[in-house]
Amino acid sequence: MPAADPADAVFAALSDGTRRSLYATLGERGEATATDLARDVPVTRQAVQKHLGTLAAAGLVATRREGREVLYRPTPAPMSEALAWMAEVGAQWDDRLAALERQLARGRSVSA
Amino acid sequence: MDELVERELTVPDGIEDVWESLAKPEWLGEDATIDLREAGDVRAGERTGFVEEVEAPHRLAFWWSAPGEEATRVELELDETGSGTHIRVTESRPLAILDGRDLAIEFGGMSGGPGPMALAGALR
Repeated sequence: MPAADPADAVFAALSDGTRRSLYATLGERGEATATDLARDVPVTRQAVQKHLGTLAAAGLVATRREGREVLYRPTPAPMSEALAWMAEVGAQWDDRLAALERQLARGRSVSA
Repeated sequence: MDELVERELTVPDGIEDVWESLAKPEWLGEDATIDLREAGDVRAGERTGFVEEVEAPHRLAFWWSAPGEEATRVELELDETGSGTHIRVTESRPLAILDGRDLAIEFGGMSGGPGPMALAGALR
């Protein structure tokens, strides 16, 4: 795990479309090598490996060795739940602040 | 690590008017109430909680949770601007809860549900 705020690392890691699609593909497959994944995305195996490293540094994927291969698997539960929470709570505050704005506007028309 | 949501709003009203409006919290829900003093009750829909800190008319921090959900901390900050008031709201879940959830996931597998809600439980 990175020393800086893990949330920053997660958002940075998922800010890239290729990495999001790699992460989604890993989620479907469960476990895969960089070579497997390179077949599913339009970038080179080397680029896939670099992206996987970024995802791993953010704590979004874990690895294990099997013979001569390195297998990647997603560790989705903590962070996908966190992202879902942030999206939901953000939408709730959008609604509440809109309601507060209406409430204030009503107050203005009454006192005017 | 805190999980944090942040929203901002600028309105043309004076800071005292905005503060007064916060204290009439229909905007939080139909039958919502906030007792604007330290340890005062907070209710909004099925959420309940308490006020942590009040500094009229600039700052309000409270904790709340819905039944079965983790407690979260809400902080509202008001700042006077030249022509109105800037409102900044943050809602966050603290580190202790995350740690608990991570543990539950480790023991329960990736499909494991939400972890122990130690803090939410303590608030009830």
